[in-house]
Amino acid sequence: MNDSNDVILDDLEIDTFKEIMNIAFGSAAASLSDIINVYVVLSVPNVKIMKSAEIADYIKSEAKACGYNNLVEQSFIGNYRGVALSIFPCGSERELLSIFNPDKESYIESDPLNELEMEILKEVGNILIGSCVGKMVELLKESVTFSPPRFIRGDILQNISLGDAFDSDHWAIIMKTVFHFEEKNISSYLFLINSHEVTASLKKALRNFWKEYE
Amino acid sequence: MYKQALDLINAGFVILDKELKIIHWNRWLSLYSGIKPELIVDHSVFDFFPNLKTPQFLRNCNTVLTFGTVIFLSQKLHSYLFPFKPTCFIDSSFEYMQQSCTIGPLRGEDFSIRYIYIIVQDVTEIVAYEKKLKTMNIMDSLTGIYNRRFFDFSLKEEFEKHKRYSKPLTLIMFDVDCFKDVNDKYGHRCGDYILKSVATISASIIRGVDVLARYGGDEFCCLLPETNIESGLIVAERLRKAIFDYEAIFTSFSVRVTVSLGISELRNELISPEKLFNNADEALYEAKSTGRNKVIARG
Repeated sequence: MNDSNDVILDDLEIDTFKEIMNIAFGSAAASLSDIINVYVVLSVPNVKIMKSAEIADYIKSEAKACGYNNLVEQSFIGNYRGVALSIFPCGSERELLSIFNPDKESYIESDPLNELEMEILKEVGNILIGSCVGKMVELLKESVTFSPPRFIRGDILQNISLGDAFDSDHWAIIMKTVFHFEEKNISSYLFLINSHEVTASLKKALRNFWKEYE
Repeated sequence: MYKQALDLINAGFVILDKELKIIHWNRWLSLYSGIKPELIVDHSVFDFFPNLKTPQFLRNCNTVLTFGTVIFLSQKLHSYLFPFKPTCFIDSSFEYMQQSCTIGPLRGEDFSIRYIYIIVQDVTEIVAYEKKLKTMNIMDSLTGIYNRRFFDFSLKEEFEKHKRYSKPLTLIMFDVDCFKDVNDKYGHRCGDYILKSVATISASIIRGVDVLARYGGDEFCCLLPETNIESGLIVAERLRKAIFDYEAIFTSFSVRVTVSLGISELRNELISPEKLFNNADEALYEAKSTGRNKVIARG
């Protein structure tokens, strides 16, 4: 079994990656605020390297501690690829709808609420994931393709699918940030998970990023 | 070659520039919109589809242009982007083709976003089947009113609402008096006709928010949200009288039936929906055992 330091990122690379995420997420937050007319704050991203087998437990403990329970999962494919999870507080669906679909409130009365909630959160998760991943891969001079968002409710631990790229013995890079929609006082978590298989291309992209500042 | 490929796919594919002017309009779109590419290309998408001029569509395009993200627009929330005539004949209730759409970026060699693409998939047939399945899941096939499954679900849901908002909730249970005699004397097809008639008459008396269901056999339940027992008694009496006054003509027979009704209101001391159900059921039993064709209230 490989040691995490051999196959994943060294401290300098992690710091660079954090810097890229800071720029990307800051830019994503600013643009999101412009697009949805609500001031969005993104926390300083946190990077962790852990065994794939530990990811579900880690995410569960992080999210459950705050009573978070709705989850949107989306894969992104390219040289830089992985899984993104957007986790929302249970019961925030109507508030989120008012941000993203202000004219659609009539749907709430006439449609089955659960199905509607699922669709709203899928679209919101899609925008949040797309904006952060999009800005990040742009800085890394990469491009990715997204799978359609998948909504997961209930026991997230059992339902999180990390795909074939996440062999339980392998190391994975996890990034966490918190979105906060200020006026609505809603927060949501965003996790980006990359398997070690993208490390080579990520290291290359990070080197290219340094070069611009050398 | 790429243009040819785009014309061969069984989905709509449109390319817009940053000003949302149409650059490419594939054959599928041409077929279902009736608009030829030479007419629409180089025009703003809003010239031909003014319905798209919404803050949501503009926001989605901005998101794609700003972040390079891919936006998935589900049929469940949006129904359609482009108002095309439906091609599905399973269900004629759709005014427009139901669409599942994807909006995403097209980049130049320098990675900058140059265009927006929209993929349009016709999902009308899937939605029609889904709708049919949903209906089959909650409706009683004989009478056309809700089935027991939907009633049980609604009872639990209304019970939760009562707990949260303390709004009154009343339940009426009723069945056809001596229904077995109808079946024995006139046959089961006549019995079915009577059940359908009772359901139709009852449905015409209650409000749209009330839940009328066939609970099983000749037994019906009617859930009256935000209704106290006094108002519920008025509804129950109307039901009883309307069915009493009804004369069913089945083939050459004239058949008259009556119903017995039990009614109960959800009180705070009732800790479960089953308790409300049991109270109404006991009241119905009392109505049957004390002469039939009457309304008895309990609880």
